[in-house]
Amino acid sequence: MPANNMLLSSSPHVYTGVTPRKLMLSVIIALSPVSVYGVVLYGVHALLVIVVSIATAVLSEAAFRAVTKQDVRIGDLSAVVTGLLVALISPPSVPLWMVALGSFAAIVLAKEFFGGLGANPFNPALIGRAILLMSFPAAMTTWHVPFKGLLDATTGVTPLNVVKMGGTIADVGAGFVQNSLSSVPDYSSTLWTLFVGNRAGCIGESSILLILVGFIFLLALRVVSFITPLAMVGTAFLASWLLGMDPVFGILSGGLLFGAVFMATDYSSSPVTPLGKAIFGAGAGLITVIIRRFGGYPEGVTYAILIMNAVAPFMDKLRVKKYGFVPPAKPVAKEAAK
Amino acid sequence: MVTKTFKGGTHPPERKERSASTPIQTLRNVSQVVIPVNQHFGAPIQPLVKVGDQVKRGQKIADADGRMTVPLHASVYGTVKKIEPRMQANNLEGLAIVIEPLPGDEAVFMPTLDPFSCTKEEALARVREAGIIGVGGAGFPAHVKFAPPPNKPIEYVIANAAECEPYLTIDERVMEEHPEDFIDGIAIVMKIVGATKGIVGLEDNKTHLVPGLEKAIAAKRSGMDIRVQLLRTKYPQGGEKMLITAITGREVPSGGLPMDVGCVVSNVNTLLAVSEAFRKGQPVIDTGLTVTGGACETPKNLFVPVGMLVQDLFPDVARYDEKKLKRIVMGGPMMGPAVPSMLVPIQKNTSGVLLMDETEAKAYGEGPCIRCGRCMRACSCRLSPALLNVALKAGDLDEADKIGVMDCIECGTCSFVCPSHIQLVQRFRVGKQLVRAKKQKEAQRAGK
Repeated sequence: MPANNMLLSSSPHVYTGVTPRKLMLSVIIALSPVSVYGVVLYGVHALLVIVVSIATAVLSEAAFRAVTKQDVRIGDLSAVVTGLLVALISPPSVPLWMVALGSFAAIVLAKEFFGGLGANPFNPALIGRAILLMSFPAAMTTWHVPFKGLLDATTGVTPLNVVKMGGTIADVGAGFVQNSLSSVPDYSSTLWTLFVGNRAGCIGESSILLILVGFIFLLALRVVSFITPLAMVGTAFLASWLLGMDPVFGILSGGLLFGAVFMATDYSSSPVTPLGKAIFGAGAGLITVIIRRFGGYPEGVTYAILIMNAVAPFMDKLRVKKYGFVPPAKPVAKEAAK
Repeated sequence: MVTKTFKGGTHPPERKERSASTPIQTLRNVSQVVIPVNQHFGAPIQPLVKVGDQVKRGQKIADADGRMTVPLHASVYGTVKKIEPRMQANNLEGLAIVIEPLPGDEAVFMPTLDPFSCTKEEALARVREAGIIGVGGAGFPAHVKFAPPPNKPIEYVIANAAECEPYLTIDERVMEEHPEDFIDGIAIVMKIVGATKGIVGLEDNKTHLVPGLEKAIAAKRSGMDIRVQLLRTKYPQGGEKMLITAITGREVPSGGLPMDVGCVVSNVNTLLAVSEAFRKGQPVIDTGLTVTGGACETPKNLFVPVGMLVQDLFPDVARYDEKKLKRIVMGGPMMGPAVPSMLVPIQKNTSGVLLMDETEAKAYGEGPCIRCGRCMRACSCRLSPALLNVALKAGDLDEADKIGVMDCIECGTCSFVCPSHIQLVQRFRVGKQLVRAKKQKEAQRAGK
């Protein structure tokens, strides 16, 4: 008599083998080029920032879930991603306790309080950064020239800061030459320097080239959709151009591309429908440019994405037309008033 | 040849190679058959025989009046031993007729009938009398499908030869070994419904069948326009709606049927049964199926008498490794139900028996939805599984209905791709029933 203790479960009985852990791992891999380059640019302190941020994120998630008697699921690596992101969008000289605080806020305030993985309405890493930016504005806007260590003497300004203070792109180029980041101050070599990422800024945001490498990797594995980043960058390009700013410079400087690729594509806080993603990205791109042009901050990516996070749930209403969609029968037109 | 397809879908590992080159073996000798009385979709039918009766192979043993019914026939020559509720492949108990074979083989078939000279009414009556149901899915009575109302002209008869479920190879083998009968079935159905185009929708992992099918089409010399259309190998390419859309570019309207877009879709084995009903007078008494899976040591393609118990396949017909066996699935791994034991009968619409081992049949707990959107891209009906899941978990049936839960074809693609192993399709199955019940209640209230 054959066995009677067969596994019973509803169909399907086979799976792809993709798990949240594997998805998170691929995001970590996609982030590793910019992480390594951040350490190359700013030295050992940047590495410490990254390590402390990740460790804090993982420990706070484990501790929170243990204390609240939920299953500890740090194995899904989502806390690692959040910790890494918090570090990469911090200035290189950020004090370690400060980045730890940001990481803690990201995990506990922004993610776990709302139910953990998949349930956070706002991007945790950006909430962490927003809290730090408001609490410690000086430390969070202290920038350093790459390859020169993090001494006081090497503080610099970000290209966007230069422009915000009324400078021109030529001034940015002159700054690059002065700090021997570029050999000539002309327009194209300035843009090239920006593309490679040899400029003052957050640890992981500067190298457009390496962000694109990570993006292509994520696209190839179909981990993220191209819609949101494309809509965000495309809208920012158009809006900058319409507002009389240099659109290419706008895309290559600041955190626009990093935000578009790694922040706006956060599963939980962005829409799941294609049209929703497009509007979400476009809105984030537009708000970024408006803040850059009219706001008090030189950069607006953080708040742009957080603002769009707030409206993301509504965009999930913008669904694709289902297969065989039949428009509901229109109520018979009322006869014109007699 | 242009390869066509639909939007969405996924590509599970095919695992067809183990049984694809095994010729079909026909079984006659069984120790008993347990024939569930109601295998079709529609109104129930009643047994026509009593315990102790002797029945011949092909003899009608259950029937009823009513349009949505098909009769049932004895699949062996023997004695009726019991008429009692038995476990069926869908994990429910239903009335079954148990027959114990007698030595020898006495058969009663219907007289042959020339489908091209008889009237449409005669032809439809023959299809019904032969007990033909759609073997691809729910078991819809074929004579109802082949008789659309006059205001729904049929242009296409589509043979569903996609066989998109992993593991299964029986359709492939039937087309390889009996291409003439299969093509004959298409021609007969075209004649009955008055279609001008007959199309064999074949996934492009079976291109080796094309020459044989085209030869059979040429040899048929029916003067009918029958051709083979290659389709991309993708699940659920063999879903009725996906097949129609891939081939004709039309979409079956929500809540509608293939006839609404001028199509009749039939499975390979249904068409074979149609041919046999006319040419041999043989009713549906055999089921074609694939027996395979990681725990099955001797993968086979078989024709077995309807009602044969899965356990009677072993060890005479096939062997399996008892230590490895973890899950038994009736049908394909994407849509087939898992059954608790081998004491279930093979029915008219059983397309396979999968004996899955530990590496294939993993069981997972549900994780949280991470909103990765993989189900959204994969859904063959362009529903939004992630959002449906939220609506149904919250008990919001109106929202679920609005998103389109009633349009879900239950193909299981969403669950297959879900990294968190959320039982999406199962939740939608339940959701469909809840929405249907709610609508019924509302209709009742409105009627009062």
